[in-house]
Amino acid sequence: MDRQLYIAMTGAKHSLQAQHHNNQNLANANTPGFRADLDSFYQAPMYGPGFPTRAYAEELRAGTDFTPGSIMTTDRELDVAIQDQGWFVVQAPDGSEAYTRRGDFRQDSQGLLTTGDGHLVMGENGPVSIPPDSNIEIADDGVITAIPREAPEAPIEVDRLRLVNPDPAELVKSEDGLIRHYDGEPAQDDAQVRVRSGALEGSNVNMAESLVQMIDHARQFETHIKMLTTAEENEQTSSQLLRHPS
Amino acid sequence: MNPALWVAKTGLDAQQKSMQVTSNNLANVNTNGFKKDRANFEDLFYQTVRQPGGRSSQDTMLPSGLMLGTGSRVAGTEKIHSQGNIQQTERNLDVAIEGKGFFQILRPDGEVAYTRDGAFQLNEQGQLVTTGGYLLEPAIEVPQDAQSVTIGTDGTVTAKMPNQADPEELGQIELADFINPSGLEPVGENLFQETASSGAPVVGMPGEDAFGSVMQGALETSNVNIAEELVNMIETQRGFETNTRAISTTDQMLQFMTQNV
Repeated sequence: MDRQLYIAMTGAKHSLQAQHHNNQNLANANTPGFRADLDSFYQAPMYGPGFPTRAYAEELRAGTDFTPGSIMTTDRELDVAIQDQGWFVVQAPDGSEAYTRRGDFRQDSQGLLTTGDGHLVMGENGPVSIPPDSNIEIADDGVITAIPREAPEAPIEVDRLRLVNPDPAELVKSEDGLIRHYDGEPAQDDAQVRVRSGALEGSNVNMAESLVQMIDHARQFETHIKMLTTAEENEQTSSQLLRHPS
Repeated sequence: MNPALWVAKTGLDAQQKSMQVTSNNLANVNTNGFKKDRANFEDLFYQTVRQPGGRSSQDTMLPSGLMLGTGSRVAGTEKIHSQGNIQQTERNLDVAIEGKGFFQILRPDGEVAYTRDGAFQLNEQGQLVTTGGYLLEPAIEVPQDAQSVTIGTDGTVTAKMPNQADPEELGQIELADFINPSGLEPVGENLFQETASSGAPVVGMPGEDAFGSVMQGALETSNVNIAEELVNMIETQRGFETNTRAISTTDQMLQFMTQNV
């Protein structure tokens, strides 16, 4: 039997997988700071005895789209958006350093600053602890000032948010959705990164693009299935032609 | 079942929860002292099918791995404790807090709850109670023959008595505040309850330290901004629609396959 059937089958399988990726992006169109996954098809030639005349298609998550998302003003003192490039540093559950663009910060019951999905936000001196009974102000360069409600005339500089800007080519998205350096190396702090408090960065998923991509994947899938049925018809025809006249 | 369908389903779920939050905000747009909620979306874990850096052949390496996402969800909701509008009502038992703090309310089970709703009334014993009939803590009793009640910005409650030049002091309204007011648990009837995440209450006098001052003859309205909520609603609806579309498209793909293969 011809291998056309198998090649068309892999094509269909991976189109469906590409649809899975695309659905993931659409499902996170409202997640703050979410970075869209990019997908691409990859040509996997057949190796082994014989001529490499066939190539299977494989779908890969080719990486992450790091373009900034839209910024909404919320006027909430603990919503922080990064202007242009850069990342917040958070502590992942395993204790390692990870990066996020998610800026919907909040205080936990111990007064520690966390992101909306519960990761500790890192300052230059470790996790940022907000003193009780104070108002917070976050400056453009990430300096966090606490203004005690009892003594507004004596603000305390709490810490400064760690802001980094590693080369996007070296960053990968991990299983927990956080961004990490390719080989786990900690990034250098970058004094050029600017933040804006009272604003929140949304997801960078482009709905229109994803919808078109969705149609594209669906049609491609149908084409592969069509190829499957064509292969079957060819097989049938040839077996009929070769049938011994009885 | 096909994972692509389930991913889109998590999106539908999350958008629907977000719509519930928006609807609740809109439903409470005229509730005194109501604080709006915000839904916090988060992406779910990724599954690694193939590790980045794996080999695609003897001499070549995959540029990236294959990691499939599993969707999104609403991780939680958060109360936004920003100040609501102060509305003048000219009713002498309406009290608004301008700034931080909560009124303390004694619930029938003996627990203290907290509220920003200052539309107080008198019960049959002349005590200040909430619209739900729960006592203000510490209790303030207005004598039957009082001609007028005055509440100062520092929370002092006085009454003008007949045949008495000096007003009689009836009590003091105290306020409570929390390290993390977003951690308070809303329990309905405009009341909040202390939780482990809110921290313990700090009690003080209005106008002192960090506490806001109180204002007689005014009420704090909800901090829901209708325009903002309507925009949220449109955004949620469009998110819901695209996820529905994703489900139907994936379904059509599967249908096409079962019909043709």
